Amino acid sequence: MKLSEFIHPGSLAEARKALRGLGPKGLPLAGGTALHFMQSKTPVTAVDLTGLGLSYIRRKGGFFSIGAATPISDIQRYRSPRWAMHEICRRISTHQIRNVSTIGGNICRVFPWADLPVVLLAMNARMVIYSGKESEMGADEFFSSQPARLFRGGDLLTSVKIPVLKAQHGFGSVKAARNAAAFSLVTIAALLELDGTTIKSARVAAGSAIPFPKRLHEVEAALVGREAVTDVFKKAAAAGGTAAKWNVREGMSADYMRQLAEVSLLDALERAAEFARGRVN
Amino acid sequence: MNRHEKAKNFKQVNHSVTKIDALQLALGKDSYVADFVPNDALIIKMLWSPHAHARIKKMDVSKAEKMPGVKAVLWYGNVPRIVHCTAGQGFPEPSPYDTFMFDRKVRFVGDRVAAVAAETEEQALAALEVIKVEYELLKPVFSIDEAMAPGAPVIHDEPEAHVPIPIHYEPKKNLVAQVGCEAGSFEKGMKDADFTFDETFEAPYAQHCPIEPYVSMAQIASSGRIVITTSTQVPFHCRRIVAQTLGIPVQRIRVIKPRIGGGFGCKQEILLDDVTAMFALRTGRSVLWQFTREETFRTGRTRHPFRVRLRAGVKKDGTISAIGLDCINNTGAYGGHGLTVVSCSGGKTLPLYHCDNIHFDGKSYYTNLPVGGAYRGFGATQAFFAIESVMDQMAEAIGMDPKAFRQLNHIRENEGSPIFAALGEGREGTPMTVGSNALGECIVQGAEAIGWDKRSDWRGKTGRFRRGIGMACLMQGSSIPDIDMGAAAIKINEDGSFNLTVGATDLGTGSDTVLAQIAAEELETATDKMIVYSSDTDLTPFDVGAYASSTTYLSGEAVRKAAADAKRQILATGAEMLGLPVDQVHCEDAMVRNADGSKKVSYSDIANYSLYQKNQYQIIGTASHITKKSPPPFAAHYAEIEVDTWTGFIRVLKYVSTIDCGTAVNPTLCEGQTEGGTLNGISYALTEQYLFQNGRMMNASFADYHIYSMRDRPPLQTILVPSYEDTGPFGAKSVSEICINGPAPVIGNAIYNATGARINEFPFTPEKVLAAIQALEKKK
Repeated sequence: MKLSEFIHPGSLAEARKALRGLGPKGLPLAGGTALHFMQSKTPVTAVDLTGLGLSYIRRKGGFFSIGAATPISDIQRYRSPRWAMHEICRRISTHQIRNVSTIGGNICRVFPWADLPVVLLAMNARMVIYSGKESEMGADEFFSSQPARLFRGGDLLTSVKIPVLKAQHGFGSVKAARNAAAFSLVTIAALLELDGTTIKSARVAAGSAIPFPKRLHEVEAALVGREAVTDVFKKAAAAGGTAAKWNVREGMSADYMRQLAEVSLLDALERAAEFARGRVN
Repeated sequence: MNRHEKAKNFKQVNHSVTKIDALQLALGKDSYVADFVPNDALIIKMLWSPHAHARIKKMDVSKAEKMPGVKAVLWYGNVPRIVHCTAGQGFPEPSPYDTFMFDRKVRFVGDRVAAVAAETEEQALAALEVIKVEYELLKPVFSIDEAMAPGAPVIHDEPEAHVPIPIHYEPKKNLVAQVGCEAGSFEKGMKDADFTFDETFEAPYAQHCPIEPYVSMAQIASSGRIVITTSTQVPFHCRRIVAQTLGIPVQRIRVIKPRIGGGFGCKQEILLDDVTAMFALRTGRSVLWQFTREETFRTGRTRHPFRVRLRAGVKKDGTISAIGLDCINNTGAYGGHGLTVVSCSGGKTLPLYHCDNIHFDGKSYYTNLPVGGAYRGFGATQAFFAIESVMDQMAEAIGMDPKAFRQLNHIRENEGSPIFAALGEGREGTPMTVGSNALGECIVQGAEAIGWDKRSDWRGKTGRFRRGIGMACLMQGSSIPDIDMGAAAIKINEDGSFNLTVGATDLGTGSDTVLAQIAAEELETATDKMIVYSSDTDLTPFDVGAYASSTTYLSGEAVRKAAADAKRQILATGAEMLGLPVDQVHCEDAMVRNADGSKKVSYSDIANYSLYQKNQYQIIGTASHITKKSPPPFAAHYAEIEVDTWTGFIRVLKYVSTIDCGTAVNPTLCEGQTEGGTLNGISYALTEQYLFQNGRMMNASFADYHIYSMRDRPPLQTILVPSYEDTGPFGAKSVSEICINGPAPVIGNAIYNATGARINEFPFTPEKVLAAIQALEKKK
């Protein structure tokens, strides 16, 4: 991707107007790391989003609100009670990339290996989109297909709202990768809500080794109403093996990726349960 | 005093002085090729073959030639057709001449088709797109088995392909080289054995991944000569090969090597400079060609994949009665280094253990895959995976601890091996006995550091995460005897400083610093008095270049001899100034003194006297050095790992890398070499991989090719175990290659110790490890 020009809008409205005017020749840009993977030879005009005050993390009511242009390293470093996003952010690429790559960039154009969509699906996050005025969209709808579809008319993601985990909630994520900076082979995220030792609700999502990040409803169904114990998790994880089409990755077979996904599911569920039990206790 | 304790008294050598280029590099001063490119330089881009094997039926570059900014296009129709070898080796090369600047045939995805030089990169890329090429696709050869098969497609069917020296070469059979030897009777040794083994191993492709990719700039000097500034390990070979390829005299070419951002062997090939030089001649302009990372992976040189069959016999008392090593390498589309790498797979490994009955056979085959070349370890890396795996198996068969088995059998000081004489690089080797050897101590210190005594049998291990400890012993060489040559010159300046000029090539290793330390030690002055200038074919003496673990040992001895020559002159002049006979003075702390120090004169005064005052002459020492030996450095490596038996993932918990490199001229740099090579070896064992689709390497970026970085570094302990090599400068041997040979067998042995699964092919991907564990479980 070649950038021919930079526009520095002073407001969201100006940014949207510029992008609407440019159409396919315009590109919203914050961290810019996705450019490396965009192969188009047609020069585009970048609309710089970094001066619009979209880099922040705030807790407001029952949500953590993360500005769309917040670097992943800021999310990694942020700490607050009932906050779990740092765990997966620590595993994304390198320090240098995390310092520039933003949450918005990671989720508005989803590459197959992206980790944050998986986590946001499990956490039931809500995306705030500016289209002249702000509106919210749930993760399930946002990630129902490539989110870039939502922004072709110049609309912009302004923030991501992540529900604050409650006392009986537990979250666990697993990223299996070949080395520290490698793209994920399998990313799994699980949010469990316990009622005593029983699983009251579950949201489980997967990414990387499947065509597009998605929730694994078969896994969730195998969990809800059952005891939060290893045997149940193993059966649920096995359901995950058949719940998705696992792809060949990095020279390793689809069947191996399925096995890896099942173990990763089990690990994520164990972590989530441990997290939840810790809160309960 | 033990010999190795001599090093304790050195004042410059055996001290970790700061690298002489450290500040320059840390401050980001102009240092590398790309830093010196003038703003108006033309940019070169190459059209690469998209096909693994094809003949070019038709090519039309006329549109490209007329594109905006384009100054010249090179293709087979407008350059000399001169067959040559791209490998920077001794001359004549022990490799086939099978390469042309451009050819009508392409032999791998990434082979040259046509090149454009234009004012900008964009213009050059645009011009490539309008070059019309019509290919006749030929059946490709993608494996050793396919290459060897009767009736296989012939990759080099051009009549010019030949070898410049009488070595075995059968291009019609895709056979690049064959070499072999036998000591004693292998068959008898196998019959005498209580236990025999016959195992086949596979070692994969890998890329060197220097941070600075291949880059070359050519300019036309006012005199009309071509000046090539290039990132090379072999400036003098570069000059010779460019002259040969362009059909011009060596006299017309000057090659300059500035600072280099790593090579590890890949820059021992001349892959760019013929094209930059030709464009400079055609256009009269400065031209720059630098590979992208993708080009470096696809077109740059690689480590040869190997298939190794190892047969061995052992007696119950621990005697190794027979070793048979059959190595076949896939050298890819061109054969430079095919023979030498396969020779070293035997020559640098088989002498390590006592055995009276040794058989070795090495073959190298062409395929339509990326081209193998020199890579740190140079064949020994691949063969040691097999040898050290079978060493563990032999130990287990006779019920002996693997460490004790190695301690029983490894070569000692003053011992020889028939292999030294039988296997050289491209010809017979040189008889040799080992002069220095601290391997025994390496084994002991490494075992203590890893906690070998706590190692337990895999059969008692249960649970998902299982830990194991593995080890391996290693050797390499130090230069190529009777082939490599290094030379140096050193002259004094008025302030007592010295200009040290060497042909040796510092490719980021710190060899300029090491050579300065050696010169300073011999001259009894300080290292910071040395002004080092290296690797400029107009201004420095000849050196074959930085390869074969030769720089410290071979070029270092040339430097020491040159310094000794200068010192002799300094002593003579100093004695004259002091009015004393030469035999009554000595050099100490940059002065010439008499025995009690009552009379002394500084090097500065001596320089001024010799340059300005009486009987003037330039104090200048020169020397060349060749060697009759290639003294091996030795190493013992250990690792403790944890295997996730549910996923096959491996975590290295601790790695211990010991090394006997003789005197460590600069201990910090030696540790750096050892640590870097070991870490590289770990990722070669675990994560580095070439993934192909129809001959095209599919993971040609650092995002997809998983070489370790410091983020992946496990706890890694380096232990320098001193010895003293009498034939090396101040006791030094080589250090930089051997360390990459260890991790594959060490981790393979550790996997076995953790799980009972023996895997004969790496990288040890999680899938392979899991499959091996599951196969074992099924057997139970």
